[in-house]
Amino acid sequence: MFKTDRISRIRPELEAIVGGDAVRTDEAEILMYSYDAGMARARPEAVITFSAAEQVAPVVKVLYRAGIPFLPRLAGTNLSGGTIPLKGGVILNLARLKKIRRIDTGARLALVEPGVVNLELQRALEPFGYFYAPDPASQKVSTIGGNIGENAGGPLCLKYGVTSDNVEKLEVVTPEGDVRTWSYRDPGPDLMSLMIGSEGTLGVVTHAWLKILPVPRHIRTVSAAFRSLDQAMKAVTRIISEGIVPRALEAMDSVSLEAALNGKASPFPEGTEAALIIELDGPDAVKVKREQENVESICAGAACTAFRLAADESERELLWQARKGAYPALARLAPDVLVEDGVVPRPRLPEALRQTREILAKYKLTAGLLFHAGDGNLHPNIVFDRRDIQEVKRVKKAGYEILKSCIALGGTVSGEHGIGVEKRVAMNWLYGRAELDFFRKIKDAFDPAGLANPDKILPVASDARAEAPPEGLAERASLSPEARAVVDELRLRARSGVPTAVTGLGTRLKPSGNDGAKPLDLSQLAGAAVIDRENLTARVEAGLPLERFRAQLKEAGLNLDLPDLKGSVGGLIASKAFPGVKDLLLGLEVVTAEGELLELGGRTVKNVAGYDAVRLLCGSMGAYAVILAATFALSAGSRRAQAAFEEGPGAPAFAPDPYQVRLKRALDPRNLLNPWIYGAAAAAEELP
Amino acid sequence: MIRHERFAEDAPGKGRREMDSTVTTAVSSHIPSETNELYGHERADRHLGALLTDLGERNLYDAAAQCNRCGYCETVCPTYMLTGRETISARGRNQFMRMLVEGRAKNAADAEEALSTCLLCGACSTACYAKVPTPDIVLEGRRELNGYGDNFFARAAVRTLLNAPGLFAFWLKLAYLVKKTGLPRLAAKMGLYDFIGMPALAEAEGSLDRVPLRFAGEIFRKDPALSPHGKTAVNWAYFAPCGPNYVFTDVALATVRVLRRFAGEGVYIDNQCCGLIAHNYGRLEDAREFARRNIERYERLRAVFGDFPVIADCSSCAAFMKTYEQLFAGDEAWRKRAAAFAAAVRDILEFVPADKLPHADPAALEKAGRVTYHDSCRACHGQGIRKEPREALRRLAGRRYAELPESDWCCGGAGAFAFTQPELSAKVLDRKLRNIASVQASTVVVGGTSCLVQIGAGLKSAYPSARAVHYSVFLDEASGAAEKP
Repeated sequence: MFKTDRISRIRPELEAIVGGDAVRTDEAEILMYSYDAGMARARPEAVITFSAAEQVAPVVKVLYRAGIPFLPRLAGTNLSGGTIPLKGGVILNLARLKKIRRIDTGARLALVEPGVVNLELQRALEPFGYFYAPDPASQKVSTIGGNIGENAGGPLCLKYGVTSDNVEKLEVVTPEGDVRTWSYRDPGPDLMSLMIGSEGTLGVVTHAWLKILPVPRHIRTVSAAFRSLDQAMKAVTRIISEGIVPRALEAMDSVSLEAALNGKASPFPEGTEAALIIELDGPDAVKVKREQENVESICAGAACTAFRLAADESERELLWQARKGAYPALARLAPDVLVEDGVVPRPRLPEALRQTREILAKYKLTAGLLFHAGDGNLHPNIVFDRRDIQEVKRVKKAGYEILKSCIALGGTVSGEHGIGVEKRVAMNWLYGRAELDFFRKIKDAFDPAGLANPDKILPVASDARAEAPPEGLAERASLSPEARAVVDELRLRARSGVPTAVTGLGTRLKPSGNDGAKPLDLSQLAGAAVIDRENLTARVEAGLPLERFRAQLKEAGLNLDLPDLKGSVGGLIASKAFPGVKDLLLGLEVVTAEGELLELGGRTVKNVAGYDAVRLLCGSMGAYAVILAATFALSAGSRRAQAAFEEGPGAPAFAPDPYQVRLKRALDPRNLLNPWIYGAAAAAEELP
Repeated sequence: MIRHERFAEDAPGKGRREMDSTVTTAVSSHIPSETNELYGHERADRHLGALLTDLGERNLYDAAAQCNRCGYCETVCPTYMLTGRETISARGRNQFMRMLVEGRAKNAADAEEALSTCLLCGACSTACYAKVPTPDIVLEGRRELNGYGDNFFARAAVRTLLNAPGLFAFWLKLAYLVKKTGLPRLAAKMGLYDFIGMPALAEAEGSLDRVPLRFAGEIFRKDPALSPHGKTAVNWAYFAPCGPNYVFTDVALATVRVLRRFAGEGVYIDNQCCGLIAHNYGRLEDAREFARRNIERYERLRAVFGDFPVIADCSSCAAFMKTYEQLFAGDEAWRKRAAAFAAAVRDILEFVPADKLPHADPAALEKAGRVTYHDSCRACHGQGIRKEPREALRRLAGRRYAELPESDWCCGGAGAFAFTQPELSAKVLDRKLRNIASVQASTVVVGGTSCLVQIGAGLKSAYPSARAVHYSVFLDEASGAAEKP
């Protein structure tokens, strides 16, 4: 077989790096790396087990040179087939790289290797009184590397954000074997955030600097039982719109409750159809108690049948065990489980649930419903037996219909489990051709030979397009006449090859001298923000000054947790004047150098469908695309205290990273947008 | 080997069963597979007919297929944690067996490494919500390996133990003597230990201070106080597992003293080996024979005295005897008898109630120093015993008792594992020793003889100020003196 041959040709080289025992091609090893927790299966040609992080780059280099596909793998608990070697090749097993290298409570950072199990990190932080916020239900087994690859969430992400909000810096081995270290604070486009959730298709993370937080002084965990899911959802919506931000706001239906309890006496009254687990925290005991009382009265208002405060740590532990054990517990009901991972804007959750239940009934399937109610993230866990071919077909159909219903409700197809191979086809339903092309260019810029975890995330030819692709954004009513004019203007310039200078209001970014770029005035893009009170989001056009945006929000009784900064909203994003702006940014509408209109991200707080282009464009300085509008996450209630932020004096000279240059060439090959930023580098023929 | 080659991806349309269109949304009930034998008829006697799982009776295929690959077992699997290799992880072993039945894996020998490195500790099943019986599944896999259990010495030893325990004892004593008289190399050359088929015993003997030349069974048989003659009622029957019987005679004696002290009069059941060794090393039919003989002995006593608990002081044996029913899954008559026997079996760890214990003897406690408890795998994973021994130790040792971190991490003894996989076993043990050192314990209480050997030997070389003590011995020492006037 030629496939074995291509491994044996480079085997001596590989063994010289990792040692003889670490390169395995025997049948058992191949078989046991052909599956993960999802449904897909494919055989690798070899498995390389690393014993030091430094071995990764040289191995990747060898593989890239030999043209052999590879992908990183850790615990193999992936739920979307992301760790399945679709084109064979080599599995890079990083599971033994599990050193916690440094815990720095002063800088509030932990430096870890990718194989560190999430829960082990939490345990290591405990004695110092710290924690790492992302806490996926699988934290007992899933690793930091895997969490980064999938941009994992977890119950606590409602308050503390998902993985990409909690990473400071990453050391990455690129598909060609370069070792790069990127932080979201680096000048220019945010490459670090782009890596997060990229499922090993853009590189392999070998070290991560994670943000750690002091454990809040006071934590209260309550559970509430309801006779219907709708009532529970009503309570959820009210809690959030009251301005309460619980640490966690989780919901379970009766099927998952029963499975998780596993025969133990239920702590909830008979006839409980849904239960909420609500956890509140804060430094102030009185305030936390008051919040708890508010939550209690809201739940009572939604006809809750039992409301209970966990009396001690063991009771709290029990509640969380029930929640986090619900998915593995479904193994008792049937040998296989498909975990869907749709997200909808939170107020649409009751609708999404109703539709999900209808779909499940239509296909005669049983599912335990689990959801991160606060984020609008649903996990219908459909149980089945994969040996029953008919059932498998129904499960797949039902899964796709659920995803389609989420899209129709303004949501997305994956909140935290990734696209992998199993949801690849759904990308066609969510995005138009232009967005997918944009993603593809990103992938090609990093991995020109297509060897890093090939055929993942982006649809391939065999993934038939949806019956009707999403309508082009330009046709949508949401685009103002001014924005349409900008799109048309850029399209025209692209056709005639006229370079454009995009500088927003000129607060920070100024064209350097006369290089023939034609200015583009965006100050007209300043319509009133469209505020979605219930969902706590606002869509705002790029030309609107932040001060005016804030004033509009204040009128509505809402806040944007940003420091007071000058300039336009678009300029703020493009210049990354405040690096933390990424954490509030949910979606962007942009025009590419070719005049294509793209809708990136969305209106949900969780979204791992496709590359994180929204964050990539933070700091892109108008050189990748022109920002037309942005969607922000807001907060209700009074404005939260902000750490003092002092904007540096002007933008420092920008010396682009080679990968930023590559992206520039991929996204704007004719260097039409703000051509002076990359200057000659953008045109250079050879890759750096 | 008959293997069916139908599974969802590769054979569309060849459904194992067509879905009934009237099926409602009810939770999928279990539908047993029909054509899923791993082995042909002629090899059926090498295998268990069915596995009695937490979810009911399952054949091998269905038991393995219940694993939904969630991976929650990986972080408790010692071999996975040490190597990071899926191939030698609980989930991997399970999946391999499933693939073998499905025909996607062609040969059990391919997984020889995966199957033979399993400690059979059962931590995976404890972590598993569906309680997939991975150790049993692995054993079924091992039984498919060529020559497993067929080797001359293993066969001879097990048969000797079964049919001529006296002869077995003779050989064992001879082996001990050879070693004691300074001819260990000769013993090795003679393959005496191999002949006896229990390399673990050979290893055990090396860690012993003195060698028993009278085995526990011989002592008890002659002890009138332990004889059923002249008794009208018994509160317990002592079952002497091979470890305490042939190697750790002091453990057996201590157990009997403890039983008499806290549970009144009882008898020695004059048992044979529980059959675990035969069971785990591929001699299933021999294991059944051991079980039948033990069950018969129990039944004879029960006919006279009515119900009484059968107490064993090695967790591996106790756990195995509690699963006797599984050996006879296809044999209605014996299955019932086995189930009745299994229901009577108690591990000494769970038998002595903490509130019956007196305050400990200060001198004994002084000698014990800081006490900690190691959960023997077959106690915590095999029988779910965690609470009872801790309560007893806390009561006896009070503030001297310290909880051992990762107390249910296997010690790496695992029968002959220390002998067959020395490198891996040493790594597993190393982590155990580190944990013991971390609480600065000087007495490590264990419930299995294999643990006693393994941890004892480990401590001797790495941490000589501490010792491993069997639970019975500790109870006997700490509670015994208190009763003396």
